[in-house]
Amino acid sequence: MPSNTASSSAAAAAAAGSADSSTSRRNSKRPKYSKFTQQELPACKPILTPGWVILTFLVISVIFIPLGVVSLFASQDVVEIVDRYDNDCIPAPARSNKVAYIQGAADKTCNRTIVVPKKMKQPIYVYYELENFYQNHRRYVKSRSDAQLRSVKDENQIDACKPEDDVNGKPIVPCGLIAWSLFNDTYVLSKNNQTLNVSKKGIAWKSDREHKFGKNVFPKNFQMGNITGGGKLIPDVPLSEQEDLIVWMRTAALPTFRKLYGKIETDLQENDTIHVILKNNYNTYSFDGKKKLVLSTTSWLGGKNDFLGIAYLTVGGICFFLALAFTIMYLVKPRRLGDPTYLSWNRVPGGGR
Amino acid sequence: MDKPPPHHESISSRWSISSKDKEVTFADLGSKRIRHGSAGADSEMLSMSQKEIKDEDARLIYINDPDRTNETFDFTGNSIKTAKYSVFTFLPRNLFEQFHRVAYVYFLVIAVLNQLPQLAVFGRGASIMPLAFVLLVSAIKDAYEDFRRHRSDRVENNRLALVFEDNEFKEKQWKYIRVGEVIKVVSNQTLPCDMVLLATSDPTGVVYVQTTNLDGESNLKTRYAKQETLQKATDLETFDGFIKCEKPNRNIYGFQANMEIDGRRLSLGPSNIILRGCELKNTEWALGVVVYAGSETKAMLNNSGAPSKRSRLETRMNLEIILLSLFLIALCTTAAATAAVWLRTHRDDLDTILFYRRKDYSVKPEGKNHNYYGWGWEIFFTFFMAVIVYQIMIPISLYISMELVRIGQAYFMTRDDLMYDESSNSSFQCRALNINEDLGQIKYLFSDKTGTLTDNKMEFQCACIGGVDYSGREPAESEQEGYSVEVDGVTLKPKMRVRVDPSLLQLTRNGNATEEAKRANEFFLSLAACNTIVPIVTNTSDPNVKLVDYQGESPDEQALVYAAAAYGFLLIERTSGHIVINVRAEMQTFNVLGLHEFDSDRKRMSVILGCPDTSVKLFVKGADSSMFSVMDEESYGDVIEATKKQLHAYSSDGLRTLVVGLRKLNDTEFEQWHSSFEAASTALIGRAGLLRKVAGNIETKLRIVGATAIEDKLQRGVPEAIESLRIAGIKVWVLTGDKQETAISIGFSSRLLTRNMRQIVINSNSLDSCRRSLEEANASVARDDDDESVALIIDGTSLIYVLDNDLEDVLFQVACKSSAVLCCRVAPFQKAGIVALVKNRTSDMTLAIGDGANDVSMIQMADVGVGISGQEGRQAVMASDFAMGQFRFLVPLLLVHGHWNYQRMGYMILYNFYRNAVFVLILFWYVLFTCYTLTTAITEWSSVLYSVVYTSFPTIVIGILDKNLGRRILLSHPQLYGVGQRAEGYSTTLFWYTMFDTVWQSAAIFFIPLFAYWGSTIDTSSLGDLWTIAAVVVVNLHLAMDVIRWNWIAHAAIWGSIVAACICVVVIDVIPTLPGYWAIFQVAKTWMFWFCLLAIVVTTLLPRFAIKFLVEYYRPSDVRIAREVEKLRSFSEPQQNMGTEMNQIRDPSRR
Repeated sequence: MPSNTASSSAAAAAAAGSADSSTSRRNSKRPKYSKFTQQELPACKPILTPGWVILTFLVISVIFIPLGVVSLFASQDVVEIVDRYDNDCIPAPARSNKVAYIQGAADKTCNRTIVVPKKMKQPIYVYYELENFYQNHRRYVKSRSDAQLRSVKDENQIDACKPEDDVNGKPIVPCGLIAWSLFNDTYVLSKNNQTLNVSKKGIAWKSDREHKFGKNVFPKNFQMGNITGGGKLIPDVPLSEQEDLIVWMRTAALPTFRKLYGKIETDLQENDTIHVILKNNYNTYSFDGKKKLVLSTTSWLGGKNDFLGIAYLTVGGICFFLALAFTIMYLVKPRRLGDPTYLSWNRVPGGGR
Repeated sequence: MDKPPPHHESISSRWSISSKDKEVTFADLGSKRIRHGSAGADSEMLSMSQKEIKDEDARLIYINDPDRTNETFDFTGNSIKTAKYSVFTFLPRNLFEQFHRVAYVYFLVIAVLNQLPQLAVFGRGASIMPLAFVLLVSAIKDAYEDFRRHRSDRVENNRLALVFEDNEFKEKQWKYIRVGEVIKVVSNQTLPCDMVLLATSDPTGVVYVQTTNLDGESNLKTRYAKQETLQKATDLETFDGFIKCEKPNRNIYGFQANMEIDGRRLSLGPSNIILRGCELKNTEWALGVVVYAGSETKAMLNNSGAPSKRSRLETRMNLEIILLSLFLIALCTTAAATAAVWLRTHRDDLDTILFYRRKDYSVKPEGKNHNYYGWGWEIFFTFFMAVIVYQIMIPISLYISMELVRIGQAYFMTRDDLMYDESSNSSFQCRALNINEDLGQIKYLFSDKTGTLTDNKMEFQCACIGGVDYSGREPAESEQEGYSVEVDGVTLKPKMRVRVDPSLLQLTRNGNATEEAKRANEFFLSLAACNTIVPIVTNTSDPNVKLVDYQGESPDEQALVYAAAAYGFLLIERTSGHIVINVRAEMQTFNVLGLHEFDSDRKRMSVILGCPDTSVKLFVKGADSSMFSVMDEESYGDVIEATKKQLHAYSSDGLRTLVVGLRKLNDTEFEQWHSSFEAASTALIGRAGLLRKVAGNIETKLRIVGATAIEDKLQRGVPEAIESLRIAGIKVWVLTGDKQETAISIGFSSRLLTRNMRQIVINSNSLDSCRRSLEEANASVARDDDDESVALIIDGTSLIYVLDNDLEDVLFQVACKSSAVLCCRVAPFQKAGIVALVKNRTSDMTLAIGDGANDVSMIQMADVGVGISGQEGRQAVMASDFAMGQFRFLVPLLLVHGHWNYQRMGYMILYNFYRNAVFVLILFWYVLFTCYTLTTAITEWSSVLYSVVYTSFPTIVIGILDKNLGRRILLSHPQLYGVGQRAEGYSTTLFWYTMFDTVWQSAAIFFIPLFAYWGSTIDTSSLGDLWTIAAVVVVNLHLAMDVIRWNWIAHAAIWGSIVAACICVVVIDVIPTLPGYWAIFQVAKTWMFWFCLLAIVVTTLLPRFAIKFLVEYYRPSDVRIAREVEKLRSFSEPQQNMGTEMNQIRDPSRR
């Protein structure tokens, strides 16, 4: 019995463990030290000192002002001819009811003359510009079937295309309001009675032609419904080569937009007179949409638009002004950094803020 | 060696044999054991045993007859199920639980709205994805946790217990145990259910249990079987009786029942029941009848988590959420109204407008309206579509981010090295996960004293015997030894050494030679005998040396018994019938004839011992206030006077004092007492009161033996901590049960009080005097200049008159102007009342910190409850929101983590509002250019991913990791804590500034490209991509501008998030069946795109940058100055200069 007791108590003592210091060290719950757990990772802690702030403003102005100037020059370099024709191309007697005229069967040919104000280097882009046409209207943007455009086997995916989804139960390819309302005014340009060649090759995105619009997808039942929205497609040309459609299907982001019609690959000289034979087919009259023909060169920055240049100059100017103002303020009324007299508990009550 | 008996058991039995010859028993009492302990059963706080249990509130248990017991009421079986779900119920139940969150319901409603064909804004996938993702992640987490619970349930339910069946004990799985069965538990086994004790291996019916699993207390508790059942239990087959007990409840300290056997009624209290989860210790076996099983056991009923609190910031934030909702409604109304106007003006042309075309002519003959339901409906639909499109205006992701951030913050708090307590091996615990940021706004701190400010490790310091003070200290060199005694070749040593007074030691060694020595011996005998300590003998590595460990519920008693041991009075054994004390190597056995346990009314305890010299003595020990009134003043007046004087000196030193007295009882006195004690302890009604009366009757005319002084040592770092907290502008209130002098002296030693404070003491015995003194105090405080700081000291008696009374307001006013408040003699229930008094009168945050069960109410009442995992068990921890090992950890917790958490969370909320609103506004501006229809240029997937992927990660990382100031400076300048108290990190003003900035930024992001691309060939997808990327870059740079500490994680999160967004945009644009195919590549190769982006980034952030600088430079906040100090200290400021600066800062604030 005694031996029994001794060993059992020894076992109990070992089990108790808490008294045993080596055990307790092993079981210690002390968090392992690391810079991460103690939130002491090496860190850079910048503070806004007057020097840094003034320098920042100076740097911004030094970058922005030249950029603004460059942008403005780029915009100024662009030669742009805009000819609004929606009103003028309707014979005076028909102007009281334009919609009736445009929906009627009369010949819509219209002759326009434009004068080149400045030398234009090729390539010269021919655009049509529509105003007040909401290609971003919710009803409109949703009314398309991207699957159908891409492959023949998906031609029945027309759920989204209503109300232009099928004719007599047969699916329309390409379906939807967007395709249905394809722009169909045409322009024939000539200079000195010589036809100016307007190339329509490569006006759409390459990615669209090659991957988005199928090479073996052909128009079907298109514009066969009760009312015709816009242009027709050539039946035996695959969609991937109908570039007007591809351009049109890239719906514009804003209600005033241009779409590429073609490219002129010869230079135009100052005061060249260009004669345009125009078929005014497209009905924008029911919603006061304006139509314009645009001939424009481009710069590296895009088309003619001074906004960015002005914006850059303004921001650069403001930054320069701020840099100046802060410098003066700093010189006139500096505050020593880390000055404890500014601490709320060191300020005289009432005299502080 | 199969089942070793508890080690000390055999030792003590050996001693009892060896000391048998000295054992003296009363002839008439020898056969009878004393029924003690039932007295302590009903300390009235916990049970109401005086009252009869009504039949409808009772359950009837027939002992050893489970069939009959369960006949009428089918009581819950013992199988437990903590798992929430089964395979089949998982999906519905888990979804149901998850949708308790309002945020998810909002998500769901939006997703459902989106499924209506008229409102379908997003594709099915895009609209459901975020919700599905969040639900899935939570469901996986829940499923895993539940799986683990299932597993542990299975293990628990299949454990085996000995159940009495068919006249023998058979092993039975826990889950099959039924109420009414009799169970046998052996030593070190865990109890399977709550059971009433019938018999134990101890002839007196005592068992020792460890309740660590239940309340975390590791000391042994004693429980008793009823005398009446002890003998009967030997023959269980014929055991016939029933127990009528209260319905299951979660009070682990209360139990109330009657047992009826053989027509006799016995009342049962909490000391007669042992609870599931306890472990049987130092007792060979115990028999009990199951009264509560399975989910009805007290352990299971208590198994719920901490109560959830909501953070102040989150509550504040709801106001802004409402503002945002109004803003959302305004946007939607605008969209709907403008759409209505357009439809109205074009109502005749809708069929012919190329981009509208209302009629579907394929439906013959007339054509039918396609997706057009009339003007009114269109407005209605537009409104709800707008709600769907702009849904993230209400930043739902914020709630999820906040949860993640809090988990991250909690991780760092628990891993903080500074808050690890070596002595208790406990690191910081975050028990509540949703009030981290409240730690940064605390204005009032309520602290318990014992165990919180002090260690609750009592050290015996001085003795006053017969009016003579013995407080000299033993010289250092002999401290090594300590007292030890050899018994049967084994050296016994008390586990803790006590410093002794050499002269007193010498005196006790003299035996009973002089009167003085006799008194000294009497004194230490009283200390060793008059207590409820259980000695436990443990082995050491040396087989010849054993340690005596004293276990008990009161640390004061422990200290006294250790002190007695150091002077040669070694308590070695305690059973219910006798105690064995080794008096200077001589074993003496005392019969315990009666025990009156401590109660808070009498404030004393007493034992009646049959001494070896056949005399019967009453030993009483208690608080001085209650002891002097029961002393025999006539005979011992001068000793009492001397002792009183000495006690005053002790308590001025901050020592806790107790007075010991004794009286010899003659036979008639004893008999008289004995019969009334018997009657009282078997009484069914009002037992506690009767017992108290019996005790009161016998505890009179005592001879004063002496007084003890125990030092309650302050915890390390407490004075510094309190000073820091005070400088931080936190009002510290200390609530203690100590008497006024002790409390004040602790106040001084803990630097709560300083010498230059004017003390206002409120110490009244009636409502009127209390009112008078409070009003006087109020007047004097109001009159005073700010120069003098005031300390308010109020005692529990006065508080009785103040609480729940109009005086509360006066007290609050006085307390507000005092820099320290000390409440002494406070009863536990008053603590919550004091916290409530402050909490209800101010919007400032309150924090309560405590360690004991008596602090639970206060901890739960305060906005933030902190538990100290110390000596007094774990109830405080269980009730708390945060738990830690030491009071001083409060300083890093509040000043560092609280400050950080508050600032991080405040910024994160504002930023999330901004981030979502910017995006919504960009979408809104576009509507003005799409003929007022809810087209989004930004792809639907980007809309969905924006708040989930593109911008969420950095804010979470910054919310967890960013620090506006370093730990060092926050600790050295506690005033910086004021940022949170003044709510500078988040306010409605800041919200409005942020919203103005938001409008500007969204406008710049939207309109710069709009004007730049106006009238160009830009297509929707390209412009949408530009807006997406611009928004992501700006929003992330905005955050980058406000990040204070750039470590690699912040870099990775912010730049990584921008890269991730770009990758997502690219991925979306390489899907050929989406309209935006290849758009990003087309647009990104133009210079225009990059020019726009650069212009956007600079323009959006310019005003914020400039204003931020101006404010920080000319109206610097404290934080900003401190940051400058922190940053520039290393090079520009000489060290000397900083030193004076610090002093300047350290000056206590006078605001």
